[in-house]
Amino acid sequence: MSLPHRLDAAAQKRSLSFQQALFGYVLVLPAVLLLLGLVAYPFLFAIYVSFTDRLVGTVGKFIGFGNFSYLFNAAAFQASAWNTVVIVVVSDVLKLLIGLGLALLVHQRLPGRGIIRSILMLPWAIPAFVAFLTWRVMYQPIGGGINLVLSQTGIYTEIIDWLGQRSTAMPAVIIATTWRGFPFWFVSILAALQTIPDELYEAATVDGASAWQRFWAVTEPGIRPVVIVTALLSSIWTANAFEHVWLLTQGGPSDATMVFPVLAYFGMQTQRLGEAAAVSVAMLPVLAILVFTATALMQRDEDR
Amino acid sequence: MTVADSSTLSMPDMQRRAFVARCASYALLGVAVLLILFPIYWMVITSLKLPREILRVPSLWPQVFTLNNYRAILDDDNFLVSIRNSVIVSGSVTLIAVMISSLAAYSMVRFRYRFRGLIGRLILFAYLTPTSLLFIPLSIIIARLGLGNSLYGLILVYLTFSLPVATWMLQGYFRAIPRELEEQGMIDGLSRLGALVRIVLPLSAPGIAAVAIFVFTGAWNELLLAIVLITSQSQRTAPLALSNLITSDVLPWGPLMAGAVVSSLPLMILYFIAQRFMVPGATAGSVKG
Repeated sequence: MSLPHRLDAAAQKRSLSFQQALFGYVLVLPAVLLLLGLVAYPFLFAIYVSFTDRLVGTVGKFIGFGNFSYLFNAAAFQASAWNTVVIVVVSDVLKLLIGLGLALLVHQRLPGRGIIRSILMLPWAIPAFVAFLTWRVMYQPIGGGINLVLSQTGIYTEIIDWLGQRSTAMPAVIIATTWRGFPFWFVSILAALQTIPDELYEAATVDGASAWQRFWAVTEPGIRPVVIVTALLSSIWTANAFEHVWLLTQGGPSDATMVFPVLAYFGMQTQRLGEAAAVSVAMLPVLAILVFTATALMQRDEDR
Repeated sequence: MTVADSSTLSMPDMQRRAFVARCASYALLGVAVLLILFPIYWMVITSLKLPREILRVPSLWPQVFTLNNYRAILDDDNFLVSIRNSVIVSGSVTLIAVMISSLAAYSMVRFRYRFRGLIGRLILFAYLTPTSLLFIPLSIIIARLGLGNSLYGLILVYLTFSLPVATWMLQGYFRAIPRELEEQGMIDGLSRLGALVRIVLPLSAPGIAAVAIFVFTGAWNELLLAIVLITSQSQRTAPLALSNLITSDVLPWGPLMAGAVVSSLPLMILYFIAQRFMVPGATAGSVKG
């Protein structure tokens, strides 16, 4: 092959890869533009608004940390911060324990596990608003399903207004949230369990490991990456969920179950956009840590 | 949990232990199944009770079965309109999101170009950015665009959560399709786009169906943005119409639960149909790992 010819081929190859890159950009462009306009821009806009005293209908002026210093001293905000931590930690630990336990049970090769698996997924399959409206009806003091079962089985005969008193409202919200959220943990862990080779268990058994030892030596390392990503995703979603609290208690009684998204929504209803945006933005530092960790782990999984 | 060494036990002992373990497993699963089904049972049974019975004689089984609650909710034009709105919004979002994200995911899986990593990170960040952070600026932006209180506005903002997750999921499915199949198609005269439409999309149909169902479900469930953006009754979606029922002083439990059952049905039907063809999709996805 003569030299000019070869140069030609190289140029052709370069132009081909340029064409391909161009085509790649064209295909990805609509998604990128929409995400820049609908996520990135609003995201920055939210941060900007949180530093202004914007009201509905006005642009407002820059007031520095005014909204934040006001919020940090507001009782409702402090309650929201604490409640968010409680809901996320308690419900995610419960979801982990229930999801893991059920996944381990279903993972045994029991007859009928297909149908059991489908039933365990039901809370995830029905719409969230339907789930929480149903729990709201269940929690009613008179005629609600929970008081009925407790009194008819003789466990507790007094009537409890689950959502109406401070002491029971938060546990009630957590139980409903856990009911709705554990299937995500269950399927994630079950899928991870199925990737662990049987030989590892057999080898551990031959070595004389007990069931408890086998769990920590084989099962736990096998599901750990999935559990970590699931925990991050579930925490992000639970901390930012709106409908569970909105449909069950609207944050009451007297802020006992108030969380940031509901507080921000109330702020918006009172027209104080700057303050409302500050409520959402206040949890950004914690959220950012969770999101960055999750992103790093998920991209590593992807590149694997 | 017992820590006894099973190898020292005799055969009948082991069989008995296995039997006991199995019974215990079923017992635990049985309890879990009961706890999971009870709220769903309660929803259905409440929707079939007479209003006076719900409050006065609470019971696990209705004395009289009635379809009055369903009649009430289906006679209510507002509720039917809200179901129609939900179908329009969720359907449109699904269609748009799947189309745009298919192109994006294909581009990111097949082509090498600058900023690809950056775009991948943008999509993941967008996926994890919660609606609770975006709803205030989105409401301002949508008002500025003149799309407030309209289904168009709702469709547009629902892309904030459906596009990223659809792109993210589709990347996984497309990655599982061997590049050689496409190259063969292109040798046979297909263009790049032709290869995408004729080879990649049909092969990843189960994956696309799974993504479509996921996106549809997300849009069907969404409440916060709908509450913020929709102000008139005629534009309400199903979650909005139902959650509006509980803000009244007297909870109309029967119709509320009837509405809950009705608005769950489309998703239930979707899952039922999907289970059949999502199984090959799941195995196709697992082959690549």
